[in-house]
Amino acid sequence: MRHPNSKDPISLLENRVGERWAAINRARKNAIDTKKAIEKALKGLSSTDASIVVFGSLARKEWTKKSDVDWTLLIDGQADPEHLRVAQDVGQRLRKAKFNPPGTTGIFGNMTFSHDLVQKIGGREDTNENTTRRVLLLQESATFGKSDAYERVVRLLLSRYLKDDYGLRFGSLQYKVPRFLLNDIVRYWRTVTVDFVDKQRGQAGQGWGLRNAKLRMSRKLIFATGMLSCFSCHLLSSPDVRRELTKLHSTVAMEEHLREFTLKTPLEILAAFLLELDIDKRTAVKLFSAYNSFLKLINDESKRERLKKLLPEEIRGDAVFKEVRGYSHQFQDGLTELFFKRHKELQQLTIFYGVF
Amino acid sequence: MRPIGFSTGALAYSDFRRGLAMLRHKSIHAVELSALREAELAPLIEAIDSLDLSQFAYISVHAPSKYGKEVESRIVNLLRTVSARKWPIILHPETVHDFSVWQSFRGLLLIENMDKRNQTGRTARELELIFAKLPQAGLCFDLGHCRQVDPTMNEAFLILREFGGKLGQLHVSEVNTRSTHDPLSGSSIGAFEKIAHLIPTNVPVILESPVSEADIQVEIDHARKALPVPTSNGNRKREGRTLHTAAI
Repeated sequence: MRHPNSKDPISLLENRVGERWAAINRARKNAIDTKKAIEKALKGLSSTDASIVVFGSLARKEWTKKSDVDWTLLIDGQADPEHLRVAQDVGQRLRKAKFNPPGTTGIFGNMTFSHDLVQKIGGREDTNENTTRRVLLLQESATFGKSDAYERVVRLLLSRYLKDDYGLRFGSLQYKVPRFLLNDIVRYWRTVTVDFVDKQRGQAGQGWGLRNAKLRMSRKLIFATGMLSCFSCHLLSSPDVRRELTKLHSTVAMEEHLREFTLKTPLEILAAFLLELDIDKRTAVKLFSAYNSFLKLINDESKRERLKKLLPEEIRGDAVFKEVRGYSHQFQDGLTELFFKRHKELQQLTIFYGVF
Repeated sequence: MRPIGFSTGALAYSDFRRGLAMLRHKSIHAVELSALREAELAPLIEAIDSLDLSQFAYISVHAPSKYGKEVESRIVNLLRTVSARKWPIILHPETVHDFSVWQSFRGLLLIENMDKRNQTGRTARELELIFAKLPQAGLCFDLGHCRQVDPTMNEAFLILREFGGKLGQLHVSEVNTRSTHDPLSGSSIGAFEKIAHLIPTNVPVILESPVSEADIQVEIDHARKALPVPTSNGNRKREGRTLHTAAI
């Protein structure tokens, strides 16, 4: 099975293109150190029925100064009133250890129940919060302490997305791409972009600049790598995995293939694809240097603060916004090249699954 | 038809004689003599010669699931009576203090995959580490444990793909959220059915479901539903309906 390279794909990519992305490497190192500190602070709180899961920059290994800790207590087991106390304990211990609490949306910083995630994919009861938690669990999450519940739920989600995808299992298409999963990833991205405007209205522009920068970069990154993960089923899975699917209609091996991707960060997935598909060096540099510059900017407290306070009506002529917009345009150009210009089969998949 | 029997410990807690009595005069030809608690092993071994086990074509013994390092050699010595009769010995890997003392049982030793409470022996990857230390040992595949660790049953598929050749016995029951055994339910039957076609029909099935004597046959019928026998055309026959192989 051709999984994303078992060695660190970002280092391999740096070596291949002859560049060093200092801000990315610093953010990754800081994330690992921060994770250790949080692990220590939360010791003893997780159980086989309840995993402490983090999302956002910590899970993506893009930890910068002032990053929040977006966490949830993921419960997959017998109902227990004590779970609430454990969740409260997680919040208190993180505050005591001086970590920034999650935002005020209510999506993080509380309890998440596996049944909603697994049973309500689509339909009336699949709320915005449920979709967000579910998709982020697959795209940018990590766990502390006992990971049993987390691992079970990730497997169950992948199983639902692939086993319920009759087109994937029984269809005659030459492409083997999990469309049900891909559509949910696309839906989530579109939801984020629509909610951005809703928040702009509801919060009277508060935090607009920072949210806009994240939308252009980190949110877009996870959308792109979510698509790549789905396309990997066709492009990077081994012939055995695809044979199991086409001959036996079994998705087990494909689920395991995708599970390996859930263990990687979005930047690692992007780097792995650039390496595996032997994408033009200039595109790789464009993407990673843009992201590196973005992380450097976000790590600069004064610039981050400026973005946080920036209102939509103030963007014209604002130097920090102009800077981040420049990086986002470079990043967008890189993505357009990757998905549409540098690899024939990836281009075909993008048109086939991404457009119609 | 798969050989299906019971663990004496499931039928009668800590009382193998009563468990055997509950199976007597029934068309059940497989049994696991349970000595899950350390104190149960010596009395069981002492009683073996006097037990009427003539109805059983398959007999195994479950070794204690918890004991101190200082008694490990004594337990191994007691179990030599079992191996001398060529009966398989079921062992929880996390109980082992010194793997080398268990090696002499060779293929008669069946390592059981564990439930979520344990930190070892739960997955194909974790079992690989155990079998590296006991290369000749076989596998007692506990479907309930495996489903508790991974309800998708993908891990079961991976374990069978990796260690199917070592398969010596099955443990079947529903393992609930408190990690105790229950009778099979509709959902566990459905889950086990997904991988039944990967299990050879001659592998003995030992039920660990705690049931009353009156419900023994009901539970066996449920086990037959959960583990349908593949037909010659590759499909699986179950109670009048044919299932396609691609359930997983």
